[in-house]
Amino acid sequence: MRATATAPTTAALRPLVGGPSVTRTAGVLGGGALLVLAALVVAVGLGTSELAGPWDAAAILAHRMGLPVPVTWSPGAEQIVWELRLPRAVTALVVGGGLATAGVVFQALLRNPLADPYVIGTAAGASLGAVAGLMIPTLVPALAVGVGTAWLGIGLAQVMAFVGGLGSVLLVYAVARSGGRVPVVTLLLVGYAISSVLAAATALLMFFSGNRLGAIFGWLMGSLGGASWSDLALATPLVVVAGAVLLLRWRRLNLLLLGDGPAANLGLDVEREKLLLTGLATLATSAAVAVAGTIGFVGLVVPHLLRLALGPDHRLLLPASALGGAALLALADTGARLAGGVPVGIVTALLGAPFFLVLLRRTRAIGR
Amino acid sequence: MASRVPRVPRVFLAPLVAALLAACQPAATGTATPASTTSSASSSALAAVYPLTLTDDAGNEVTLAADPQRIVSLAPSNTEIVCAVGACDELVGVTDFDDYPPQIADVEDVVVGAQVDVEKVVAAEPDLVLAAGNGLTPDDVIAQMDDLGLTVMVLYPETIDEIYADIQLVGAAVDESAAATAEVERMRGEIAAIGGAVAGADAPRVFYEVSIFEGQIYTAGADSFLASMIALAGGDPITGDAVTTSIGQEELVAADPQVILLGDAAYDPSITPASVAARPGWAEVAAVADERVVVMAEDLVITRPGPRITEGLAALARAIHPEAFTD
Repeated sequence: MRATATAPTTAALRPLVGGPSVTRTAGVLGGGALLVLAALVVAVGLGTSELAGPWDAAAILAHRMGLPVPVTWSPGAEQIVWELRLPRAVTALVVGGGLATAGVVFQALLRNPLADPYVIGTAAGASLGAVAGLMIPTLVPALAVGVGTAWLGIGLAQVMAFVGGLGSVLLVYAVARSGGRVPVVTLLLVGYAISSVLAAATALLMFFSGNRLGAIFGWLMGSLGGASWSDLALATPLVVVAGAVLLLRWRRLNLLLLGDGPAANLGLDVEREKLLLTGLATLATSAAVAVAGTIGFVGLVVPHLLRLALGPDHRLLLPASALGGAALLALADTGARLAGGVPVGIVTALLGAPFFLVLLRRTRAIGR
Repeated sequence: MASRVPRVPRVFLAPLVAALLAACQPAATGTATPASTTSSASSSALAAVYPLTLTDDAGNEVTLAADPQRIVSLAPSNTEIVCAVGACDELVGVTDFDDYPPQIADVEDVVVGAQVDVEKVVAAEPDLVLAAGNGLTPDDVIAQMDDLGLTVMVLYPETIDEIYADIQLVGAAVDESAAATAEVERMRGEIAAIGGAVAGADAPRVFYEVSIFEGQIYTAGADSFLASMIALAGGDPITGDAVTTSIGQEELVAADPQVILLGDAAYDPSITPASVAARPGWAEVAAVADERVVVMAEDLVITRPGPRITEGLAALARAIHPEAFTD
C-alpha cells in the first residue's frame, strides 16, 4: 500500500507519526503573524486623503492604545484612521482569513483542486439573498423604512446574504444526500445545479433592478467599502469561532484526504465529519460574504499557494492559510482603496491570478 | 456636532420645524425683487436661526448647528443648486462628474467614478454633506456618513416642483433663502414662458432615447421626471417600464413616435438621425419618415434635476415644437 500511495497520501499520513517540527511550525506561523501585522500597518497608514499620513496613523493608534503621544493631528484624521481605515483593515483580515480557511477545508473535503468556499452554493445563495435585500426597499417601499436601513445595526442585504449562503448549502446538502451518505461528486454536481438556478434568479432580479444595478454590481464584485465596527462585531465571532473549531480538526481533514473509504477504515465517522466540516466552513464563508460580498480568488488560491510551499498537512496548512488570506486581502484592499475605490474582488483576481500562474509554472519546472 | 434626529422626537420637533421654516421664509412669495437677491439682504432681514432643523427628501430631520461654511456635494445637480443660491464658494468637495458652474473646477473631487470616497469626505471636514437620493449616493454610504457624525442632507427631486423645493431647502440650510426664492422665481417665469409658447399646439408622440445597448432601448420611464419634462415641453411621451426604463423594439415601433429625440447622441457621435433610419424596422416610423429625428446635445441639462432644467426644457420644447420658436 505504501508503494502505490500518492504523494499527498503519504504526506497526510505523516502527522499520524510525527508532523511538522516545532521550529518549522513556529517559523511559518510567526512569519505569517508578522505578515498580518505588516499588512495591517500598511492598510491603516495609507489612504486617499493627505489629512492622515502614515506617521499620523501610527501616532493615532498609539494614542488610542493609551500611549502618551502629543496630539498633532486634526479630529478628522483621527476619525479617518479609527473609524474608516482600521475597521476596514480588520474586516479585510477577518474576511480574508475566513475565506482562505474555508477554502482549505472545501478542497480537502471535496478532494477537488478547483474547490473554493463558494463551490457548493454559498456564493450563489448569498448573492441572491443580498440582491433581494438590496431591492426589497425598491420593490416594497413600505419596508424601506427601518428594515432597509438597519436591523441590529446591519443592513438587510447583509442579513439576507448570510441566510442565503447558509440556506443554499443546507439545500444542496439535503438534495445530495441519499441512503445516509453524501458522495463528494454528487455534492459538487448538486451544488453546481442549484447554484445555476440561484444565479439565474439573481440575474433576473438584476435585470429589473433599474438604478440599484450599481449597488448590486459592487456587492457581487466584493467590496469592503461600507466596513464599520458594527458589521465587524457580528461577523468576527462567527468567523473566528468556526475557524478555530476547523483548526482543531486538522487531523480529521488529513484523514479525509485519503478518501471516504480509507478514512472510515481508520475509525472516522466520515458522514458526520463531512457534515460538521461543511457546516463550519459555510458558516465562516457566509459571515465573510455578508460583510464583504463575494470576493473571489482568496479562498481558492491562498490554500493552493501555501500547499505548494508547505505541503498538504493541515496542522500547518490551516493556520498558515488563515494568516496568508488575512494579509493578502488587507493588502489587496489597500490597493483597491488607493485605486479610487474599485471593488477589491477585481484587485485580488487581477494581481493574484498571474502571480499564482508564475508560481505554478516554477514549481512544475522544479519538479521535472 | 449636528446629526440626524432619531425617529422618536420627530413628533415633538414638528411644530418647532414649522416655526423655523416660517421664520426663514420670505414674507410673501412672488414679491422678490432683483435687489433682494444678494446674500447681505437675506442675512440682515431674514437671518436664519441656528440650530436649524430641516426635513430632507429622504424624510430625515437634519439639524444644522450653525450656518454651514464647508459644504460637500455628492451629485452635480446638488452642486448647481448650491451655486444657484450663491453658496458656491462654500463648496469643499464635489464629484468628478461636476462641470458647472466653471468655478468649481478647482474644488476637490470626493466622488470619483461614481464611488464616494468617504475618507476624502471626512478629510474635507464638511459641516453639511448634500447626498443624492434613490441609490445614486448608495444607502450604505449615507448610513456610514451618518454614523461618522456628518450632517447629511439627501436631495432627490422627482419633479420640477421638487427641484424648487430643494432649492428652497438648500437656501434655508445655508441662510440664502432670498437668493433661493429669486432663483425659483426665475425658473417659474422661464418655464411659464415655455408653457405659453407650446400651449394649444397638438402634442406629438415623442420618444426620447436615453441609451441603446445590445438592442435594449432605454427611454423615459413611466411617471418619470423625463416623461414629465417631455409633457411640459408640449409632447406626448412614449414611456418604458417604470423600473427598468426600457422599452421593447416592437412596442416602440407600434407606438409610432412622431418625434425621436436622441439624448445618447450627445455622448456617442455614432448615433445620428441617419443611423437611426438604418435600424431594421425603423424606416416606417413616422418620425423617421418625416425626418423629425433630432440630436439632443443638451441631454445633460435635460436629465440633471437642477436649476438649469429650464435650459433643458427650452431645448426640448424647441425640438418638439420648432414652429413655436421662430426667434
